[in-house]
Amino acid sequence: MIEYVVRGLLNGAVYALLALPMSLLFATAATVDFAVGAYALLAAAVATSIAGPLGLVAGLLSAFAASAIMALVFAGLRRSDEESIRVALASFGLSVAIASIVLIVWGTRAFVRPTFASVLQIGGLRINPQGLINVAVSVSLVVLLYWLLRRTNLGRMMRAAAANPAGAELSGIPVLGVQCTTILAGGLLGGTAGLLILHSSGLDFTASLGLTFIGFAAAIIFGITSPVRSLLGGLAMGVIEALSSGYTSGMVSSMVPSLFMLIVLMSGQLGANRFSGDRP
Amino acid sequence: MTLLARRRNTLVMVGVAIVVCAVAPLRASWLDLAVLTGILSLVALSAGLSYGQAGMLTMAQGAFAAIGAYATAVWTTRYGGSAWLGLLAALALPALLAWALARMVTRMAPLATALATLALGTLVEILARSWDSVTGGYVGIAGVAPIRGLESPVLFNVLVWTIVCVAVLVYENLMRSRYGRALKSIRHDRTRAIADGVAVAPLLSAMLALSAAMAGAGGWLYVHYITYMSPQSLDTSTSISVLLMAVVGGAGYVLGPVLGTVLLTLLGKLLPAQEAQGLFYGGALILILLVARDGLLGAADRWLHHSARAGRGPTVGGSP
Repeated sequence: MIEYVVRGLLNGAVYALLALPMSLLFATAATVDFAVGAYALLAAAVATSIAGPLGLVAGLLSAFAASAIMALVFAGLRRSDEESIRVALASFGLSVAIASIVLIVWGTRAFVRPTFASVLQIGGLRINPQGLINVAVSVSLVVLLYWLLRRTNLGRMMRAAAANPAGAELSGIPVLGVQCTTILAGGLLGGTAGLLILHSSGLDFTASLGLTFIGFAAAIIFGITSPVRSLLGGLAMGVIEALSSGYTSGMVSSMVPSLFMLIVLMSGQLGANRFSGDRP
Repeated sequence: MTLLARRRNTLVMVGVAIVVCAVAPLRASWLDLAVLTGILSLVALSAGLSYGQAGMLTMAQGAFAAIGAYATAVWTTRYGGSAWLGLLAALALPALLAWALARMVTRMAPLATALATLALGTLVEILARSWDSVTGGYVGIAGVAPIRGLESPVLFNVLVWTIVCVAVLVYENLMRSRYGRALKSIRHDRTRAIADGVAVAPLLSAMLALSAAMAGAGGWLYVHYITYMSPQSLDTSTSISVLLMAVVGGAGYVLGPVLGTVLLTLLGKLLPAQEAQGLFYGGALILILLVARDGLLGAADRWLHHSARAGRGPTVGGSP
């Protein structure tokens, strides 16, 4: 039982990295980037073909480049004064395209590269050391992001753009630039998550949509507003997943992210007051 | 005559269907392509109905089609029932599920709807893979009998395109009825529609149910043509590609999804490898959203109106 919880926490730290871009982008641009899972997939795929630390850098860069495409598309769609649903649709297209590129170049093989051959024994628990690295990386990124949002000018601009886009635009904040920066940050975070998954449990070309799902579910469990909540949401997702894979059949555990998302959406966390009388 | 003039889309569709049914039998490969395109058109039409008209981005159309396909496959192979009764099940089951889904989805924001339907699609896929006793799990259900009397591909092709024509007729009639006008006003301003006395939630639910039934009919045709059904046959990627087809053709236009399906499947045949399909579809979607956000028919419509306006002053309204 405790072992499942610990393992879930270690995995969930990575999910927090997928949840962060979702919550950031939803806050600043009120839209969803479905391609976050695809950034992770691309980063992992690129990193496998180049050995050593250089591969990690290349993986991150490729994820960053993919998110730059998304940012361009976003800017193009925004200029024509479009609603968020089209951006979501376009990011879907990008996600499908990236998964297809990975399939063409790398084929159907799984990407996995365990860092450590042995497992740590801590008080009777068997723990993969990589899990500790995952937690360290994601917690430090969350702290960094929190600091960025609260203490720097960029963070203040992001929060202003989130709270009131029109007002922020009027007071001279480049809202579009801020939103594009958010997408680029999503590429980096998603890429980091992909690299961490590559070194722990591994993934293949079908994983991109599932990762997006997990990230989104983790982002909305405790409300989509703050990076700390995303971290908690990611950890909760990891624990739930580990428990369900330990105690129930494979069918139920593979259903968990989707079921979770349906339940959370039904509770009306996301844009519930949108139709209760306000005008767009 | 006025009755026919008001059904322009249906007339065009019937014309296209006649041409397809006349030309396709010339070669076996064309016939296969025509049947599959027709089936996909039907599913894409259902996606266009829910996204383009009701404004609900549904990513579960593939799942609805799969439910229809499984319903008829189980009914005909396990119980030896007739395929036509299977059609009833293939229409009713997806519609029921969509109704239930819509009861919770219609209260949601558009983005939440997209996510919820995507989640539902994934759930259906997992269920189809795991429920061995009914769906056959990964192996699927083989040996589904073709429809009696329509075993020859030529006749089956005629059936497929007839059903597409019927679907277009129903769709166009619906859009010309007061329900269609109510939908239009919901799409433009939901609060206004409520104030005008439109029962928004029931209407949208009915639309989603109708679109699911359409997708179910597509699944029914699919399984009786391929005679085999597995979780990979109609999955989330089908949902996504029919959505892309609808958007590329013009989801707000009755014939948009059909145009998108025909174009994308024909162009897709030119691709060197099957794996490149996702790249092609995704790229086409992004390009269309950037260049012509109302799809190809939308661009054509605007271009026509533009040139007409240049000739004889401003025109009022479009004709979606």
